[in-house]
Amino acid sequence: MINNDKWINSLPNSNKHLEKNTNEVNFDKWTNSVPKKNNTTSFKKYTFVTVILISGLLFVSALKNQTRNLQKEINKLETNIRKIQFDLKQANLDHNVITSPENISLLAKEYLNINFETYKKSQIKMFNYKPEDLSVSQVGKKQKIIEQKSKKFSKNVRKHLAKKVEQKKREIKKLQELYSNPEQIPNEMKTEVAKKIKQKKIELKSIYNKPGEILTLERVRNWGVVQVVKVFLGIPVVPGR
Amino acid sequence: MKKNKKTIKKKSFYFEDYTEQELTNNNKGFKIIRVSPNRVTFLFFIFISLILIFSLKITYLSLSSNKDLYNKKNNKFFSNHRRDILDRNGTVLATNVDLYDIGIRPKLLSNKDKKNLLIKLGLSFPKLDLIEIKKKLMKDDFFWIGRRFTPKEKDQFWLMGNKAFVFDLKPSRVYPQKNLFSHILGQTDDSNTGISGVEKFFDKELSVEEKLIDPLKLTLDVNLQHLIREELINAKIHFKNIGSAAILMDVRNGEILSLVSLPDYDLNKRILLNDSVYTNKITLGVYELGSVFKTFTIAAGLENNLINTNTIFENLENRLTCDKYTISEHDKLPSSLTTEQILVRSSNIGAVRIAQKIGVEKYKSFLNSLELFNRISFDLDEIGTPLLFKWGKCKLATSSYGHGITTTPLQLAKAYAILSNGGYKINPYILKKKKSKEEGQQIISKETSIKINSMLRKVVSLEEGTANFADIEGYDVAGKTGTAVKYSSQAKLNTFVSIFPSKNPKYVLVVMLDEPKPAPNFVYEFLPSEKFPNGYKYKGEKRNTSGWNTVVVAGKIIEKIGPILAINDLQASKKY
Repeated sequence: MINNDKWINSLPNSNKHLEKNTNEVNFDKWTNSVPKKNNTTSFKKYTFVTVILISGLLFVSALKNQTRNLQKEINKLETNIRKIQFDLKQANLDHNVITSPENISLLAKEYLNINFETYKKSQIKMFNYKPEDLSVSQVGKKQKIIEQKSKKFSKNVRKHLAKKVEQKKREIKKLQELYSNPEQIPNEMKTEVAKKIKQKKIELKSIYNKPGEILTLERVRNWGVVQVVKVFLGIPVVPGR
Repeated sequence: MKKNKKTIKKKSFYFEDYTEQELTNNNKGFKIIRVSPNRVTFLFFIFISLILIFSLKITYLSLSSNKDLYNKKNNKFFSNHRRDILDRNGTVLATNVDLYDIGIRPKLLSNKDKKNLLIKLGLSFPKLDLIEIKKKLMKDDFFWIGRRFTPKEKDQFWLMGNKAFVFDLKPSRVYPQKNLFSHILGQTDDSNTGISGVEKFFDKELSVEEKLIDPLKLTLDVNLQHLIREELINAKIHFKNIGSAAILMDVRNGEILSLVSLPDYDLNKRILLNDSVYTNKITLGVYELGSVFKTFTIAAGLENNLINTNTIFENLENRLTCDKYTISEHDKLPSSLTTEQILVRSSNIGAVRIAQKIGVEKYKSFLNSLELFNRISFDLDEIGTPLLFKWGKCKLATSSYGHGITTTPLQLAKAYAILSNGGYKINPYILKKKKSKEEGQQIISKETSIKINSMLRKVVSLEEGTANFADIEGYDVAGKTGTAVKYSSQAKLNTFVSIFPSKNPKYVLVVMLDEPKPAPNFVYEFLPSEKFPNGYKYKGEKRNTSGWNTVVVAGKIIEKIGPILAINDLQASKKY
């Protein structure tokens, strides 16, 4: 065993008293350096911070909520826009299919009984074409030009016109033949025509004999109203015959 | 002591207390945990970086204007994966729709369910091959019922409420005009990538994401295309031809207004097209086109100042031999003809004489300047290359009237456009350009062009001309017929190139009938002439030359498309 005292005493003497003084901590000095607790100010501070924090949280959550609602609405609207765009595209596609020339010609063949004729180049005129004034002095000149132009009509047009004229002539001839031989006309038609002729004759006679009866006030008034309406509508007052 | 330790653990403020505790712990045999400051720094760095990354992402998301982040769900309504294709008037030629491939997982169905499903399918989709479906259902392996079902049809399947159905959404291409542009537009594969036609040639442009909203506009016109196609279909009824083609081009700039090749096919029905009859006859087909080459022979002579329109060629034989080739006239012609008459009456021997005057080199270089032998650059991949041959005296003779020399109808149209537009070079195109009119290099003089136009007009307008049936009132049509005989079958390939109006050419129309037959039952309508002032109708023609079929078809086409073109020109002009 080691004898502690022996070892300790073997050390050189030191100024223990001095060392004690130097190493001793001045408690008062340290304690005074610590700030004193102020209970009232810290409470206020914490309350203030807590209030700010809570109100901030509430504000942020409200703001976030509002933003989310707005975003939802925007999304909804954008979805609607896209839906409409999609529908529009579909409708456009349908329109293109329905109005494709192939489809139209098929439908025309099925439902229309018209034989379409293609336009001739001469039939296409410029839209800004302005006809010249046909003043009295120019009428003669224009007449000549028209005559010259009619000579220049294409053979096709002339052929077409000639055909039409011939057809009309044939029709007139037929009518002439029919009326030149009244015996061939059926009896029913004859009686009807005879009745009409009689009626007209009676009417004419009455006009010549008693013109006053025909020109009644009521009739004149009606006639006047009709003429006023005609003037208003731009229809010629005198019957256009 | 225990109390003291607890107080130290909880409240100690002094370093000494801890050292004391450490010592006591040490005495008990506990290890001292020494944390390296580097490790702490490292962990601190990781956490800080994570916080930074997340805060940056949050900031980015809040500031980002990229709406797609929010609207991913909405995209199902509008899946545009490829640009639309429009014609010159804005009519849709190709667009995208969402279609569905529908399959079945039979394992999920009992035998009773399978029977019920078959009944439901039969009722809702009578066109489905139910026997085949039944066979596949019994095998219990997954299979596709069909592809490219419309959303409506998909809904019908969906409403059956069967869990075994599998729906696969596929954005697909549809073509509202069906057959009308089959040879031009081409098709896309299952992954919506272009595999032919415009879809292939402009594949990159069509799938550029930034331009998806802007459609690709072509120079073609739906109405013109339909009218031309309709006439070609009608021609088949009368002339029993196996195929036909037509191209309408603006001679001033090379804009193609219509390109038809028959037979065609419905682009919406995906079928394998291995048969050669489905080739694009205008761009890919390489043909010997016959007498339409005479115009080039005469133009070469005029351009080289070797002949004039009035130059007389005397003592023209009716038959000529060169090596193995026998050259003869198609009809009895006078022995003396002027240059103009050679073209009007389509004299083979006359053309040979002119070519002999020109010589091989000059003639060859003239045809080369019209780019008749090179592979033409065009807005499609389906382009034919004219066959090469060795030039010689006999080759010069035969090629002068278009035999033994090949090219595509597209190149023919281009060459005629150059001859008629005043002589400047143009390149055909179908993609609408902003600047459509740009004058190219002068190939032939304006004088030659005017002379050629006037001669071509006489081919149509004069009674002895070969193309009277195309003399449509008001359109001042000029043109040249071409009748060629196929080597393989001795069948004919008839062509008619028309230019109108001849005084100020605007359009070139090439009509080609493949293997037409004589049409004795067809009623030919002759226009009024000196002999027949009212014109006359004729039936029973047994000849099968171009003048008796392609010219008739071209005349009908011009009669129909003429008003549209005239109005279009009127609208385009400043006078409108």
